[in-house]
Amino acid sequence: MEGRPADDSVLIARAQRGDSAAYEEIVQRYQQVAFRTAYVITGSSPDAEDAAQEGFVKAYRALYRFRLGSDLRPWLLRIVANEARNRVRSSGRRHQLELRLAEGFRPGDAAPSPEAVAVAADERRRLLAMVNALSEGDRLVIASRYFLELSGEETATALGIPEGTVKSRLSRALARLRTRVEEAASA
Amino acid sequence: MPELEEQLTFLAAAIEWPPTPNLSGRQLHLPARVEVAPEVRGRRRPLWQTRWALAAAAVLVIVATLLAFTPTREAIAGWLNLHVTINRVQNLPTPSPLPSAPLGRRLGLGDPTTLAAAQSHLGWKIQVPASLGAPDEVYLMPPPPSGPSGGEVTLVYSTRPDIPVSGLTGVSLLVTEARGMINENYFQKTLGPDVDIEQVTVGGHTGYWISGHPHNFVFTDADGNPHNDTLRLATNTLLFDDNGTLVRIEGELTKDQAIKIATSIG
Repeated sequence: MEGRPADDSVLIARAQRGDSAAYEEIVQRYQQVAFRTAYVITGSSPDAEDAAQEGFVKAYRALYRFRLGSDLRPWLLRIVANEARNRVRSSGRRHQLELRLAEGFRPGDAAPSPEAVAVAADERRRLLAMVNALSEGDRLVIASRYFLELSGEETATALGIPEGTVKSRLSRALARLRTRVEEAASA
Repeated sequence: MPELEEQLTFLAAAIEWPPTPNLSGRQLHLPARVEVAPEVRGRRRPLWQTRWALAAAAVLVIVATLLAFTPTREAIAGWLNLHVTINRVQNLPTPSPLPSAPLGRRLGLGDPTTLAAAQSHLGWKIQVPASLGAPDEVYLMPPPPSGPSGGEVTLVYSTRPDIPVSGLTGVSLLVTEARGMINENYFQKTLGPDVDIEQVTVGGHTGYWISGHPHNFVFTDADGNPHNDTLRLATNTLLFDDNGTLVRIEGELTKDQAIKIATSIG
């Protein structure tokens, strides 16, 4: 979670009075999660950048409607995600989202053996390949909840579906992924 | 098997995301001034935000829209009317089938309520068409960002004589009333070539009558971004501006029936 709501409220109040520097601080605070959310939806880094930028401008114009005390992050993500979906729709194409593992990722503080590191990296690669091979709907909901670490409400706004649908879709997506993991393990 | 969920959570830290661009500062191109809501600003509304100016502007935009309509063009984007965006396309996309759910959720109407409870949330009077009588169900759209800033209510008439139950909505009639700032959008409509749109007058107010084949209908947020889960096919629809309240009547009815219902509002 980036920033604290209390800080956001101060910045929003300043931005609502026309302080663009305060709004730029808000943008810096949320641009990473906004850009990544747009990337998950569009599957394209340039499209995600455009969508996030346009989303932040739209949010600035609409800031007067934002109710102080509400959570800013889902509100911003909704606008950016809508912008991303509109871009996909208007262009008539959606790039295949292809998530990759960071090279040389070393989790945790412990110092495992080189063999253990290699096995763990291989397992992660295989699991991510299975996520990438899922249907678009399954991949989007898993990426939103686990990789972007969005809340249920935020995932619902990002994907443009009711929160209840997020739960059921996630449950089904996990079941399908689990089946593939088990099939791979028994093969 | 929570292990899989743990593995996915763990995997998040290992994902290589594209580098996040810096969107602040000069990259952002912010508009020169942020609009301030009247309640925040605490000043009298400027003339262009008054309901009379709104109605006058609506007439102008509607006229301009109709003059601009060329049915043979492949696509005419953005017939931007106040509160309603109407697109004309050659090939109407087919929305996904609506999920089986309670009416309000299925059609994205908001939360179920009563007429009195809905009225207590609104700063303007809900106008019930006298010719239809009391609605069978009432739904209230949550405030922004879901609905318009002035509020939006939908009256549902399950069955009414002479108006068949629509296969698209499952009821005879939907009457939606909404209010908001002049620059807000409430709905978006996408019309195929076999849908007719006609300018009509309802009790002295300008409106549209949309008929023929079903058209695509979606609720939008105030910025005009569609709530995609509400995208659906809609049947014949009358839209008009009643002194600042946008009224939408949808059902398998004729233009004369729709206008008769509309003029009984008050």
